[in-house]
Amino acid sequence: MPDVAKPSGGVAPGYTLSTGLGSQALAGLALVALPVGLLVTLTLLPTVRMVAATFLVEGHLSAERYFAFFNDAYTMANLRYTLEMGLVSAIAALSVSFGIALYLRFSAGRIATMIHGLSLFPLFVPSIIISYALVRFLGPNGLFQLLLEQVGFTQYRTPYLTPVGPFLAFLWENIPLPVLVLSAGLSQVSDHAVEAARDLGAKAPRILWEILLPQMRRSLLIAFALIFMGIIGAFTVPYMLGPPAPEMMSVFMQRTLGNLHDPASAQVQAVVLMVISSIVGGFYIATMAKSSAGAR
Amino acid sequence: MLQIDAITKTYQGTPAVRDASFTVARGELVCLLGPSGCGKSTLLRIISGLTDCDSGSVRIEGVDMTATQANRRPTAMVFQSHALWSHMSVAQNVGFGLRVRGLPKAEIAAKTAAVLDLVGLQAFAKRLPAELSGGQAQRVALARCLVVEPKVLLMDEPFSALDAHLRKGLREELKALQGRLDLTTIFVTHDQEEAMELADRIVVMQGGRVEQVGPPGVLYQNPSTLGVAQFIGAMNTCTTTLRQGAADWYGLDLRLPLPDGEVALLCRPEDVYPDAKGAAARVTRVIDLGPVTKVTLMTEAGDLLTWTCPRDQAPDLGRVLTLLPRRLHAFRNGALIGLAQSPLPAQTAGAPA
Repeated sequence: MPDVAKPSGGVAPGYTLSTGLGSQALAGLALVALPVGLLVTLTLLPTVRMVAATFLVEGHLSAERYFAFFNDAYTMANLRYTLEMGLVSAIAALSVSFGIALYLRFSAGRIATMIHGLSLFPLFVPSIIISYALVRFLGPNGLFQLLLEQVGFTQYRTPYLTPVGPFLAFLWENIPLPVLVLSAGLSQVSDHAVEAARDLGAKAPRILWEILLPQMRRSLLIAFALIFMGIIGAFTVPYMLGPPAPEMMSVFMQRTLGNLHDPASAQVQAVVLMVISSIVGGFYIATMAKSSAGAR
Repeated sequence: MLQIDAITKTYQGTPAVRDASFTVARGELVCLLGPSGCGKSTLLRIISGLTDCDSGSVRIEGVDMTATQANRRPTAMVFQSHALWSHMSVAQNVGFGLRVRGLPKAEIAAKTAAVLDLVGLQAFAKRLPAELSGGQAQRVALARCLVVEPKVLLMDEPFSALDAHLRKGLREELKALQGRLDLTTIFVTHDQEEAMELADRIVVMQGGRVEQVGPPGVLYQNPSTLGVAQFIGAMNTCTTTLRQGAADWYGLDLRLPLPDGEVALLCRPEDVYPDAKGAAARVTRVIDLGPVTKVTLMTEAGDLLTWTCPRDQAPDLGRVLTLLPRRLHAFRNGALIGLAQSPLPAQTAGAPA
C-alpha cells in the first residue's frame, strides 16, 4: 500500500487561506465611514432629537402639537397648497420634459442639439436668479406687460404674487432633471421595438401609449418623485414669487420661526413635511431598487 | 407579387442602394445576400416602408406602395434583435397587430393561440420575453408577424445572433413553415450557406447594386460577376494576361479562346483535378472536413491553390502534385467573359497557341 501523506491540520499542505476578502471589506467600510458618520451626526441625530422634541410638552409625552397642526385651518390650507403646487408643477414639468425627451430620442441634427442644450440650461441657473428674472419679466411693468401693451393689449394681470408665479418658476426650474432621467429611460427602448409596432400598423398615439409609456413607467416615477420632493421643500421661488396666503410650507415654517418666534410649531411643520417627503422618497428608493434588480 | 424597380437610396451623399430591381413571385422565398454594408437591410427597410427611397418604386400585387407609410403596407418584418416588447407577455406581443386592427378579443385570442401553436410556443403564451431563450424569442417575433397574415414577410438577419446549431434548426423550421403557408418571403442574410439552404432564388448585392439574381445552384455554377463568384463559395483566383489565346495558369499555359488582355481566372476547389499535364504545386496543408478533404498547395511561383478531394484521395504533406482545372470562369473588369469546360487543353511552355 502506498504511503499517503497526512495533512497536519485542517488545511491541505501547500494551500493557504486567503484573508483578502476581510481586508477588502474593512477598506470598503473605511471608505464609507466619513459620509455615514456625517449623515448620522449632522442629519440623523438632529432629526431624531427634533422629532422627539415635538412630542415633549412641558416634560410630558404628548401629540398635542400635532392635533393643533391638523386642526388649524390656515396651516392645513398651507399644507394643501404646498402639496397641490408640488403635484401640479411636477405633472406639468414631467409632461413638458417627456415631450422634449421624446423629440430628442427620435431626432438628430443641429436643432435637436440646440433644444437639448436649452432644456438643460435651467440646471445652471440658481433659483434666486430665476425668481428675479421672472419678477422682471412677468411682474408689474415687466417686459412681458410692455410687449403686450405695444400690440394694444392693456388688460394684463401679472401672475406675480399669485400661485401661477411659483408654478411657472417651478416648471422652468424642473425641466432639466426629468429630461435627463427620461432621455436615459427612452434610450433603453430600441428603435426596432418602435419600428416593429409601426410595421404592424400602429400609429404614433398607440406607440406612445402601448409601447413607450409602459417601458418608461419607472423613469417617469423616479423623475416625478425627484421633482415633487424638490418642489415641496423649495423656499426661494415661493418666497420671491408666491402669494402672501396661502403660503408654501417652507415659507410658512420660516415665518413661524423667524417672525412668530414659535420654534415648537415650526418643528411640527418640518416633521409633517419630512414625513410626506419620506413617503415619496421611500417610493423612489423602492422604484430604484426594482430597476437595479431588473438590470441584474 | 412583389416588384422592386430601380430603387436608389443615398445617405448624406453615400449611396446605400443603387438602381436595385428584381421581382418576387407569390409563395417564393428570396434571399438578399451580400457582405455587411452592401445595402441589403436598407433595401428591405425600403420594402417595409420604414425607410424612404430617393427614387424607384415598390409594387405589391401591382399596387404602387412607394409612398405608402409602413403601418399601411401589407408587409410584416422580423428584426435581427427580435424587438419583442419586454412589458408584454408572449400572447400580448403576438396579438398586438390584431389589436391594432381592432379585432374582437375572442378572435384575437383564437388567432394568437393558433399561431403560437404553429411555432410550437402555445405553452409559453403567458411568459415575458425575458423568460425566453434566443430561439424562442425569435419564434415569437415570427409569430407576431404571421398572425397578421402579411402578403410579404420580411426577415432581417433573424437568426444571426443565435448559435450555429440553433440557427440550422430554425432555418429548417422556417423553410417548412414558409412552404406550408405559401408565404412570400424576403430573407436578408450575409451567410451564403444560409441563403443557399433557404432560398428559392438569391439576390446577390454588392456596393448597393444587385449583382445577380438566380436560384442557388445557378449562382454557384454560373456567377455572372467576379464579385458574385468570389462571394458565393470558395474560388481559386488567378490573375493573369491572355496573349494570343493562351494564359498562364499557375505556371501552366492554357489555351483559352478569349480576347487578349488582363483576366481573372477563377476555379472552384472541387473543379481542380490531378493530371500529369497540370500545374505543379506542393501540398502545404491537408484538412479533413469529414465527407471531403481540403488540400492547400503552393505553386512554384508561391501562389496558393485549394483542391477539395474525396477523403481516400487525400495526398501526403509535402508531396508535389500536378493539377488541372475542370471548369474555369474568366472575368474581365469584374464581368464574366467566358466559361471554359474540361478537358482544358494545356500546352507545353513556349509552344504556339
